[in-house]
Amino acid sequence: MAARGCCPSCGSAALVEDAHYAQQQLVCAACGCVLAEGLLTTTYTEEEHLREVTYSQSTGQKEQLSRCLQRGIRRVRDICKVLQLPTVFEETAVSYFQRALQHTSFHLVSLEKKELLGGCCVFVTCRQHNWPLTMGTICSLLYAKQELFASVYLSLQKELGLSVPALSLADLVKTHLNSFRLFQHAADIPAPFVEDKEKMVARTMQIVELAGETWLVTGRHPVPIVTAAAFLSWQSLQPAARLTCTFARFCKLAGVDLPPPAHLRLKELLEILLRMASKLAWLRVFNMDKKTVVKHIGDLLQHRIFLLKNAFCLEDEEEQCATALSEGSPSSPPAAGGAAQEKGHPLEGKRQREGSPRPLLPPCLINPRKRLRTAALSASDSAITGDEPISDSEIEQYLRGPEEVRAFRKAKAWQ
Amino acid sequence: SEDYSLLQYDDLSSSPQLFTPMSPYGVDLPIQTTEDVLFGSQFNQPKELPTDFSVDLSFLPDITQDNKEQNLSEYGHETQKELDGSISRNEDSSVFMDESSLSYLDATQPSPEASGMCPPMTPMTPMTPVTPASESSGIVPQLQNIVSTVNLACKLDLKNIALRARNAEYNPKRFAAVIMRIREPRTTALIFSSGKIVCTGAKSEEQSRLAARKYARVVQKLGFPAKFLDFKIQNMVGSCDVRFPIRLEGLVLTHPQFSSYEPELFPGLIYRMVKPRIVLLIFVSGKVVLTGAKERSEIYEAFENIYPILKAFKKAS
Repeated sequence: MAARGCCPSCGSAALVEDAHYAQQQLVCAACGCVLAEGLLTTTYTEEEHLREVTYSQSTGQKEQLSRCLQRGIRRVRDICKVLQLPTVFEETAVSYFQRALQHTSFHLVSLEKKELLGGCCVFVTCRQHNWPLTMGTICSLLYAKQELFASVYLSLQKELGLSVPALSLADLVKTHLNSFRLFQHAADIPAPFVEDKEKMVARTMQIVELAGETWLVTGRHPVPIVTAAAFLSWQSLQPAARLTCTFARFCKLAGVDLPPPAHLRLKELLEILLRMASKLAWLRVFNMDKKTVVKHIGDLLQHRIFLLKNAFCLEDEEEQCATALSEGSPSSPPAAGGAAQEKGHPLEGKRQREGSPRPLLPPCLINPRKRLRTAALSASDSAITGDEPISDSEIEQYLRGPEEVRAFRKAKAWQ
Repeated sequence: SEDYSLLQYDDLSSSPQLFTPMSPYGVDLPIQTTEDVLFGSQFNQPKELPTDFSVDLSFLPDITQDNKEQNLSEYGHETQKELDGSISRNEDSSVFMDESSLSYLDATQPSPEASGMCPPMTPMTPMTPVTPASESSGIVPQLQNIVSTVNLACKLDLKNIALRARNAEYNPKRFAAVIMRIREPRTTALIFSSGKIVCTGAKSEEQSRLAARKYARVVQKLGFPAKFLDFKIQNMVGSCDVRFPIRLEGLVLTHPQFSSYEPELFPGLIYRMVKPRIVLLIFVSGKVVLTGAKERSEIYEAFENIYPILKAFKKAS
């Protein structure tokens, strides 16, 4: 076949395809310089079509991997592509997956679990690079039950000894709001409901930070908090038009799910904001309620550091005052010098009005659920040695008499 | 006989030291060195101070030097409180401590050393590194559940047992064991046809052993030649409250190799301590659950290890 190009050493155009033993070569007819050598191929058909056979195929690298592993790796790559993750993530996830499958605890699990394992590896990779991927997203991609995913994830973390950093809420806000449909005009969205994305993201982040500082985030699922914060920030950016819109309607318009805890998070956020509002000088004259406070969220966020300090007494002050009351010791160091006055009398505080500072504590400590506290070992219990004699009568109370056995047998016969 | 004047305690400089020096220690102090009685008495504050101090200590088990040191270094501060309660009668009432506060002493209390009545004590070399009493928590985890196993060494007919015992349930389709319960100590047992029993629900090792013996007796009375072999405590679960909220997201940042905090999965932080090998569940409310222990001391040690970490967190927030 006609060769093309010029020889790089002599410039001659007379290039011929020649075979050196069995190897194809492109040789210059004038000077004999070898321009290109043929590729090693494994199959005659490949050679005929003059197609390159890749290294992994020719060296049987793929054949060394079990079909299960190959399938799993392919799945991991697919998930990464769907999530549009950088290629670095793909490689890391695949390597985790290969490592994991070698472990005995994952080698023999069901196919369903192996598929989840692939998803877990992607999830871990994302979290290690601070890519805000939630478990909910991965589970929906894998059509997996969250409990099963959770167990595979925890065992993966343990077996491979991976340290997975916590989910960054700030990044989660950005990604979660990306899926909201309120940033562009659409037929089903009333004009005053459309919002500027940057403004909404910024304000939602501030509200989420506020929630973090006031103990609403620790221990709770992050997505409902972000959803509630998004709702509040959206309402506050144009309160006149949006105050009448309910949370459920907002989520429907935005095209996102309304997770059930979000209502509670909203309530808690509003309570915090109301307390802060009671400390803002120009708002004290108004009787704030859940609806009206939304109008002033901008101001509250702007002054949040000052307001938080005044609306809530900090927890270390609480503890100080508890020990101070019980011991009356002057040498226990006060946490904040100025606040030393207040902490001795949290209840009969200076602020006798409605907005008297409550301690800044997680909601589970402020509204403790009435739980039956298991009593500590009583005196008689703690004196047990384990070797006490066991009376016959005590044991006999647990045994059935012969008539009872007969009656029971008869009753059971019906089953 | 043992030289009880060696029963000194390390580093108690910040705890009130109320004993008069060196006088017949063994006679003055009603020391209870068996661990369980020590801790049992934490919850069982005597209403009145014992006024009679002449105590016969011959009941005490033989303690080797190692045992003694270890016991004392770990539980020194606990026994300290025992002593405080009993000795304070001898001292000025200004250093008397309220009985009820003994269990939850915050050890950063001012010591009455100011009143100049504490002699320097010869510290013993502890077996384990001792956290100075100024940092010891003063909180004792309460045991909530003990799981133990015992081998009856005979094959059992589960159907027969379920038929003839009132407190048994047996559903072979659901689970291949008889579930039996007794009222005192309030526990549940899984009885397998191989003759092995798993006993759960007891609040102390002794209770668990007593309960296991009772189950074995029931099986014996049902006509099986049950023995009581290889009784072993398999797991102990304890819980306590540090009384302040904890920033879990911060804790997972500073101790990533041990902590797993996934709010999407579980509201608590799972801390896998290496030494002792205990798993702690730490919650935002300050409640801590400790599990995975084979011995009570592991739970106490684990808590004393985690307490300074948690406390550091509290100040940082």
